[in-house]
Formats: sequence, C-alpha cells, structure tokens
Amino acid sequence: MTLHTALLKTEEAKISSEKAKKFILSKENGAESIFIGRVRNENGGKKVIAVTYDAHDQAVIKSFQTICKDAKSKFDKNAKIFLEHVKGHVPVGEISILIAVSSGHREEAFKICRYILEEIKHKSPIWKKEHYVDGKDEWLPGHSLRPKEEIK
Amino acid sequence: MEIQLKLYGSSKMLSDKEILHIELPNNSNIEKLRDVLNQIISEKYLKNNLKNLSKTAAFFSEADEVIADNYQLRDKELISIIPPIGGG
Repeated sequence: MTLHTALLKTEEAKISSEKAKKFILSKENGAESIFIGRVRNENGGKKVIAVTYDAHDQAVIKSFQTICKDAKSKFDKNAKIFLEHVKGHVPVGEISILIAVSSGHREEAFKICRYILEEIKHKSPIWKKEHYVDGKDEWLPGHSLRPKEEIK
Repeated sequence: MEIQLKLYGSSKMLSDKEILHIELPNNSNIEKLRDVLNQIISEKYLKNNLKNLSKTAAFFSEADEVIADNYQLRDKELISIIPPIGGG
C-alpha cells in the first residue's frame, strides 16, 4: 500500500507521527518529508486557546484520495504518502494535520508535501472555528468552492 | 416544497440542529435557495457574521458533487451547504 488518508475524530484518536514514519518507510525511497500543522496560540492579534474543526467527511476523504493520487502522478508515481487531518476540538499545541511523504529524491518529497497542503486548503471541505481567551469564538474565512463566474 | 439543508462550518450559526428545513416555492432551484437563505440570515440578525454566505457558499448534492445555480431542487431533497473552506 502506498497511500493512507484519514479524517480522525479527536474524541476517538490522535494523529501519530510514529505511525506516519513507519508507513512511508521504503527501501526504494531515499527522501522523506514530513509536514506537521499544529494549533497556534495567536491569530491576527487574538489569543487562541483551541480550534474546532468541522468537515464534510465523505467529501473530505474523496478529496484527500484525489489530491494524493494527483500528487503521485505529477511528481513521483512511486511515492508513499500518509495524510491525516483531525475533526473536532483541538487545544493549542496539538496536531491538526500531518502529511508524510517518501520519494526517490528530496525535491519530489518536498514538492509533494507542499502540493498536498495547498490543495487541501483549496479543495477539501474543512472549516475552522477559533476559540479565544475571552470566551468568544469565530468561524474563519476561507476559499469558496462556488465557481468564480457565478459569484456576482 | 421543502428541502433539507445539512449545515457545515459557519452555516451552523443558523440552527442548533444539523439539518435546517427550508420552505421554498415549487420548482425552486439553487438560485432561489440563495435568495431565501439571505432572508433567513437577515431574520436571524446574522448579517454581520454571515453577510456573504448566500453568495459564497457552494452546495453539494447527496452524491457530494457541487451543484450549479440552475439545479432544480426536489421536494424533501437533502443537500449540503458548503461555506468557504480552510482546513490545515
């Protein structure tokens, strides 16, 4: 198996970097690139204590599969890819996304990792609600999936 | 006719429930749904938080495909509202 994608509910499981490293290990691939995204304690001057992630589960899994397969065919068909994202409440400092890639060479490993992250931000239906120190919360703006020519 | 709108992201401010039941004139399409949604947002005094939602949201069919503005809705159809996304 060369591809693993999952959306983990925070009350059921946590993202494991050890599991990711084991998955991408391959004698054929000499380069590994791992991206870990964590919840930051500040955004736009506001003190953040946690983020709640919402997701359209089926569409997210479909998009993850498509994005990773595209990345392999674009950069390295022998790459091994591990991608997990969380859904639910995530306190500051904890992992929200992990992308691990092994490839024949470093350039492809870096490129695949970056490509997957940027594509997820534009194509996977996931939303963030930030929770602040003062007790308030806010859904963050994002990228519209509505075709641009339809938005008047 | 009535449709069932499954809420995601910021659209969850519209209701405490997962699904919002919306009354529409017969033979309505997504464009009409956008108008009605805009009225609902005004009635609930959510203009400050959701001012562009009716314009920027996409809608998914039950097959998880984006549906166009001229898509003809069926009575009791379940669709999802997809506000602008931003994971990671």
